[in-house]
Amino acid sequence: MSEIRRRDPRREWIARNRLHPEHAAVLAELEGGAISEWLGPNGVIRKNPRAIGFIGPNGVKRIDRSGAQQGGQATGAARQEAQDSRRNVIIEDPAFLVTVVPELSGGRLSGHDKDLLGLARQLADADADRPGAVLAVVFGEHKEEGFGEAGIDRLLHINGDAYVGFAPEARLAALCAVERELAPRHWLLPDSPLGGADLGRRLALRLNERPATGVWQIEADGAAPLGWRCTARGAAESLDIQRPLPRVALALAECAEPVDETRHAAEPLSLSEAIPSALSRIEDLGQVAVDPAGVALAEAEFIVSGGNGVKDWDGFHRAAKVLGATEGASRVAVDDGFMARDRQVGATGTWVTARVYLAVGISGAIQHLQGIQSCDKVVTINLDPGCDMIKRADLAVIGDSAEILAALVAKVEQQRGGQRDAA
Amino acid sequence: MRPEQQGVDVAVLVSVGRHPITGRARRADQDARGLELALGLERQLPGSRVRLLHAGPRGEESESALRGYLGMAAGAGTGLDTLTLLEQAEGSDAIPALAQHLAAAPPQLVITGTRAERGEGSGLLPYALAERLGWPLVNGLAAVEKVENGVATVLQALPRGQRRRLEVRLPAIVSVDGAAPAARQSAFGPARRAELEATPVAAEPDQELAQWQMAPARKRPKRLKIVKAASARDRFKAAAAKAEGGSGQVLEGVSAEQGAEAILKLLEAEGVLR
Amino acid sequence: MLETLLPILIFAALALAVVGAWRRIRLWRQGRPAEVDLLRGLAAMPRRYLVDLHHVVGRDKVMSNTHVATAGGFVAAAVLMILVHGLGLANPVLGGLLLAASATMFVGSLFVAKRRRNPPARLSRGPWMRLPKSLMAFSLSVFLITLPTVGVLPQDAGSWVLALILSAVLVWGLGEMVFGMTWGGPMKHAFAGALHLAFHRRPERFGGGRSTGLMALNLDDSGAKLGVETPSDFTWNQLLGFDACVQCGRCEAVCPAFAAGQPLNPKKLIQDMVVGLAGGSDAAYAGSPYPGKPVGEHHGSPHGPIVAREGKALVDAETLWSCTTCRACVEECPMMIEHVDAIVDMRRFLTLEHGNTPNKGAEVLDNLIATDNPGGFDPGSRLHWAADLNLPLMADVKQADVLLWLGDGAFDMRNQRTLRALVKVLRAAEVEFAVLGVEERDSGDVARRLGDEATFQSLARRNIATLAKYRFQRIVTCDPHSFHVLGNEYGELGGVYEVRHHSTYIAELFEAGRLHFAPWKGGSVTYHDPCYLGRYNGEYEAPRNVLKALGIQVAEMERSGFRSRCCGGGGGAPITDIPGERRIPDMRMNDVKQTGAELVAVGCPQCTAMLEGVVDATAEVRDIAELVADALVARPAAAAVDAAANKTTAEEVT
Repeated sequence: MSEIRRRDPRREWIARNRLHPEHAAVLAELEGGAISEWLGPNGVIRKNPRAIGFIGPNGVKRIDRSGAQQGGQATGAARQEAQDSRRNVIIEDPAFLVTVVPELSGGRLSGHDKDLLGLARQLADADADRPGAVLAVVFGEHKEEGFGEAGIDRLLHINGDAYVGFAPEARLAALCAVERELAPRHWLLPDSPLGGADLGRRLALRLNERPATGVWQIEADGAAPLGWRCTARGAAESLDIQRPLPRVALALAECAEPVDETRHAAEPLSLSEAIPSALSRIEDLGQVAVDPAGVALAEAEFIVSGGNGVKDWDGFHRAAKVLGATEGASRVAVDDGFMARDRQVGATGTWVTARVYLAVGISGAIQHLQGIQSCDKVVTINLDPGCDMIKRADLAVIGDSAEILAALVAKVEQQRGGQRDAA
Repeated sequence: MRPEQQGVDVAVLVSVGRHPITGRARRADQDARGLELALGLERQLPGSRVRLLHAGPRGEESESALRGYLGMAAGAGTGLDTLTLLEQAEGSDAIPALAQHLAAAPPQLVITGTRAERGEGSGLLPYALAERLGWPLVNGLAAVEKVENGVATVLQALPRGQRRRLEVRLPAIVSVDGAAPAARQSAFGPARRAELEATPVAAEPDQELAQWQMAPARKRPKRLKIVKAASARDRFKAAAAKAEGGSGQVLEGVSAEQGAEAILKLLEAEGVLR
Repeated sequence: MLETLLPILIFAALALAVVGAWRRIRLWRQGRPAEVDLLRGLAAMPRRYLVDLHHVVGRDKVMSNTHVATAGGFVAAAVLMILVHGLGLANPVLGGLLLAASATMFVGSLFVAKRRRNPPARLSRGPWMRLPKSLMAFSLSVFLITLPTVGVLPQDAGSWVLALILSAVLVWGLGEMVFGMTWGGPMKHAFAGALHLAFHRRPERFGGGRSTGLMALNLDDSGAKLGVETPSDFTWNQLLGFDACVQCGRCEAVCPAFAAGQPLNPKKLIQDMVVGLAGGSDAAYAGSPYPGKPVGEHHGSPHGPIVAREGKALVDAETLWSCTTCRACVEECPMMIEHVDAIVDMRRFLTLEHGNTPNKGAEVLDNLIATDNPGGFDPGSRLHWAADLNLPLMADVKQADVLLWLGDGAFDMRNQRTLRALVKVLRAAEVEFAVLGVEERDSGDVARRLGDEATFQSLARRNIATLAKYRFQRIVTCDPHSFHVLGNEYGELGGVYEVRHHSTYIAELFEAGRLHFAPWKGGSVTYHDPCYLGRYNGEYEAPRNVLKALGIQVAEMERSGFRSRCCGGGGGAPITDIPGERRIPDMRMNDVKQTGAELVAVGCPQCTAMLEGVVDATAEVRDIAELVADALVARPAAAAVDAAANKTTAEEVT
């Protein structure tokens, strides 16, 4: 639907004018149905109670008296308005800097980064009279456009071949240059395995700071040196450590709410001095191709699992490959020799934690269902509508698995082809 | 010129782990994976030497956990029958002791787990050692491919089972996490017979740590889906929305195309299709 | 001429036999020492042979009679021959007896020959094929040379040529029967077997006793090697036992792993131990091999490893891990050899010294160490399934009539149904019971059968300490594995309890009139004997009595009772999961199918899990407790009518 609202003053006028001969027709058009209210021949307002309301998603009639329904076409505009409601904030002369080094996975700010920026804003905006600015240090090429919406006041973009891939030494040298020149009050990094967890620890030790790691909460605390106290996870997530917030903190995802009410300047910044080039003792030779089928089941995020109902195993393997999924199997499929033993899912095989588990031709023995307990979404393709797997599944398709998989493969390939053409 | 592939001198830093459910002392999962990596290296490069190093107090529980590592060397022909224990009082800082010990007899490769399962568990130790010794550090190691002329070619684990190949100049410190090969079984007999060589070392109490408040981890609040509602209607809808889950959708009597479409939609919504 | 030749031949053979015996004994003595009461054992030997051994042999009447004739004839003939021909006591009476003995033996040997004409696959061939001929040679030649002694034939009958031929045949017979007995021929079984019976490692098995619990490993000596690495690490009487094997293959015929095509054959395993004991290769073995493993590729020595860390030695590890410890081989062995003990001894070495428990074994053992249950579940959640049942806890009540041992099935959703049913039954019978709740740990069964004796003893000692805190009359459990371990294996570690399987206890409650059942309305039912209830503990009747009380006519499977076929779930076999051509539970469900039963009653969580895991099964799997719980009625109809009548009269009175 187009976001641009085209007004038709004449129709609006007719809609307001109950006496206009086209009133009923226009109103019906605007409301997308029969009119519910009109003036009867004797000047009495007549209502059609059956025409009021709309059919909800579950097939139940809903009556909405908030007036929004009358607006019909106004939703697009309302959405526009909601986005426009962000306040523009420009911090000209910050009292201090809160530096954030986002992980920028895939060239975009991740959810974790946005949470971290929310945390940075808490630190920066604590004292309304003397606000700090949030500085983001970004390495290499990126595709992100919403730095300002994420709460960044200053953006330092450090580009160069030296910072591509795994280059902790070069990045550390750059951060040290930032430290020397801008002396930020806080350093915040995401505590994510290949994002900030590595760089943040290196930085803290270079700055001779004992960082707080696994931070998930901060509170103001006048007694602490920086005015904040933090709660951090320790001892393999089994301990909460409360300590004063140090200069360098590595925070977990969901440590704060992302910024959503303000828009910041994201003003580009550059360092006056050149960053000294660091002698690298680690060389990145690039990513290695890994077969998704070889990924350990327990680690896999998306599993396509085959069972007794699979008759066309070639088609099954092909589907797993096209979908980029890790293959799993029920006990029966393993016993029958169609799949290797290390692919068995269930209480007697591997307990899996996939985000999506696509069970093909698996009826759902209790041991199998136990093994997929911690999967987020379970999808099943099955012939028997009464089996236990269907009771567990979030989406169940009853039908021939070979056909459905083939259709799925065709659709995905078509989509990929289309994308490639578009690009 | 030294011969091309020669044995490497590996030190594996091990700690006393903690079982996530029962809290019992055990060999720490990541450290055990580190030792597995070292033992694999030893097989790959004949003439390699593996030593085990631990700094901490000596107690019955921790000793049996440490012996768990020694049980992994059963018959591997490694001569891995001792573990050097730098004995310190509880609550001491292990980093200076370890750094001193490693500097005195530097190995070519130090392998550690990413984080300890007890205490602060900040995962700083490998970094602190690297900083003190001035050695390069690679985290999240999945495999060592080869060691040639003082340069190790290693694979670093990326999310979703992906790998990145790196070259690192030795001596170096590498840390491993759950992506490294799973540790082999620890055999009771060799573990029991192995020796712990205890050396008392000067203990620097970790005063900062002592001042912090530690408590068993609270459950983190689940993030609520906050709906910015412009109207009362939107707020009502957000509040009254049915919780996700419950019984799933069953598509019966649909064509294969329609079924595939529905599945595809869900896969896309979950973002698992690359 | 024969008079001079015979004593020389006889005494030469005897002397050689003595030398051979000494050599054989030296081979056995390579083993570790064992505490055996030698004199009492020797004294008990004839009875053990004549009663206990023949009780097993007698399951096959033809073979039993054949053996009685042949062996009895031989022993009598040999003794009499020494008297008559060796010492020259040419007494017609003795001679007559000798003739009768050798004739009996000859008849027996004819049956042996018939058996060997078309032998079943389970029998070994090779040297065994010549045995009937040797038996005949011996019996016939003894018979013929004795004829003159009795006077049937004149002393000088026949020429010297005939005498020479006769003595040549006698030499063959003597060679096989006397010399071969101690130098490793087929007749070795008589010599080694007799001593094996005398010095058996489980003397309790004789005289109707039962001894099935594994023996504890001494873990006190921290320097000692744990388990069996080389043949010489067995105790000497175990080695003697291996040597007693007659290669009859009865074990092979009942072994579920062999039938499933897994690489195990109990007979070959014992023969491999004999090869290891003497040193050499298994190339001479003439029976069925381990499925999928050709003969002749393995070799060993008394002090060499049985299982190589890499490559091949005497036995491959997967052979040892295929065993389900169902004890069918031990039950069937006419020589009463202890296969399962030997397998677990070797597994102990693999687990405790090599750290090489295959597949999920290591994970399960780690879970047992860290969480006291094989699944790695939170031990605090052991009673979650019973949150609504309000089970009395031992920690609260301190004493109870019955301690209900839940077992690790408490974590399994399927077994929780059985447990709920059992609780319902106990409540219906108004049994005063309590559970340990979170204080209970795994009994240690799986750890022990996987060879991890250290974890078993640790679990057992802690369980014993927990049990010592409370007072109870008996333990009742629905898990035969816990039942066996608590009842038969904790004793050695200081925990002696009266333990009942739930089927036994339900049978007792019914007998006592505390349970009343509605008549059975379902279809035909068969019953699967769990190994750890049946063969391990001899409880075959109680479950059948319970089913009878329910009004069920059990359609027995061909293999039931002491010959019941394992479900494949014991001994950690589902954990080590050695691939075969078929699956053991599938075979068992096939047995069920053949009875035409619509329902198979079981009494073991393992069996339930294994049998329910069979795809497209024809029968439903229910635990006895579930059947009982479903059939419970408050009071039988007749009693209810009486009560109603009483009530009306009472009303009339008031």
